[in-house]
Amino acid sequence: MARTTESLYERVVQTTHIYLGPAADRFIDRQVQNHIHKEPSTLNEADLILLIDWIRVAVSLLTDDSEIVEEYILQLERLAHPKPIGKVHDGYSQL
Amino acid sequence: MMATASYSSGGAAESAAEERAKTEAVFTSIGDGAIATDEFGKITRINPAALKILGFKEKDVVGEWFPNIIVTLDDAGAPVSLIDRPITRAFLTGQTVSEKTYYRTKNGARLPVAVTVSPIIYNERPIGAIEVFRDVTVEYEIDRMKSEFISLASHQLRTPLSAIKTYTHMLMDGYMGDITPEQRRSLSTIIGASNRMNELISTLLNITRIESGSISVQPRMLSLKKLAEEAMKDLDHAATSRDITLTLAHSTSDCMVRTDSLIAKEIISNLASNAIKYTPDGGSVTLKLTNRAHSVVLGVQDTGLGIPKAAHAQIFTKFFRAPNVVKLETSGTGLGLYLVKGLADRLGGKVWFTSEEHKGSTFYISLPKDSNKIAANAAGLVVRKS
Repeated sequence: MARTTESLYERVVQTTHIYLGPAADRFIDRQVQNHIHKEPSTLNEADLILLIDWIRVAVSLLTDDSEIVEEYILQLERLAHPKPIGKVHDGYSQL
Repeated sequence: MMATASYSSGGAAESAAEERAKTEAVFTSIGDGAIATDEFGKITRINPAALKILGFKEKDVVGEWFPNIIVTLDDAGAPVSLIDRPITRAFLTGQTVSEKTYYRTKNGARLPVAVTVSPIIYNERPIGAIEVFRDVTVEYEIDRMKSEFISLASHQLRTPLSAIKTYTHMLMDGYMGDITPEQRRSLSTIIGASNRMNELISTLLNITRIESGSISVQPRMLSLKKLAEEAMKDLDHAATSRDITLTLAHSTSDCMVRTDSLIAKEIISNLASNAIKYTPDGGSVTLKLTNRAHSVVLGVQDTGLGIPKAAHAQIFTKFFRAPNVVKLETSGTGLGLYLVKGLADRLGGKVWFTSEEHKGSTFYISLPKDSNKIAANAAGLVVRKS
């Protein structure tokens, strides 16, 4: 059960952990520091929106399974847009 | 392939088409290999030079996932992990990444290359990457031959030097009969000169080993304070003979670090002997240890000549000697600080300095307390300084 006090950063790392394993926090920290230039723990929704494209290209070089990449990116988009964004992807249930 | 432009009535469209034509011409005709990828890591373009260097055909490459086609290898020939590859790091940092590495060609050969990768940014979004690379086999071969020559020459020089020192000491110690005071002075000069030559050979050998990556780092927990005291003991005669005060200032702790004792002592000895060498008679050299959270810093402060500001940027460059010391002493190789920096890098440490001409210099070496940084640098071959 998710703690209500979890920050966005923590939720992003938890999601990333599913796909990248133990390297998740280091991966996200580097993305935030290098592209957003702020302390990772202060990540907000607007930052995450900017970051998603960079994460997509980086993860696309770690696996050639485009379905996994898009699944991961979709999870991040859900975190960045807490309200439904009205987008439907083939093969996935509604947001 | 001819670059063509389509002409239309719209100025902007014509301009865009012209730019595309120019880009196409550059991409196709440059002598270095060039590969473009999209945001999904798929190869979208590859130029003739890249195909020739790697031995692929365009149809086998375009549309394929970049890491599957362009395999990066390490020094041992093993594939580099995907996250450590230059192209991945370019996207992790958002910056251009340049480095020398190895690619696997189509026929499985390991090819040394110099690679530069840049993310392609459009409307602040990464949309792909451009990787440019060139074959540096010839440069590697030249470097290897140069290092081998220096190593061979150094070893060959050591043998006759050893004979000179042995027999000179035997003469000094009276094994071949009594000697006059004048003869003793002459023999001392010979021993001093052969010691300097031996030091130079050791420096050249160490530099060769650093540059070839063959220095083995064997870290263990040790007291940097004790190591500094040992180095100072070795230099005591050099300092006292010129009335230079050599002291160690430290906190009460032992300043424990996990590092290689021989390499760390070499660094301390180099810095301290430099300080003594370039300090006028009657001056002082102070070693100071500072315990920090994750590292220990050793400062070597002298009251010597100092370094002119114009020379600061080059002080760790191979063969560089500041103009003020060259005027004072024409001998000297300019290799000592280059060696210090190379050794410090191997230990995961840092070296820097502050200096003002005519007032003196302070050189600092910082060594990490944990060995994780240096573990990554450990090489396979064991060639220790004797």
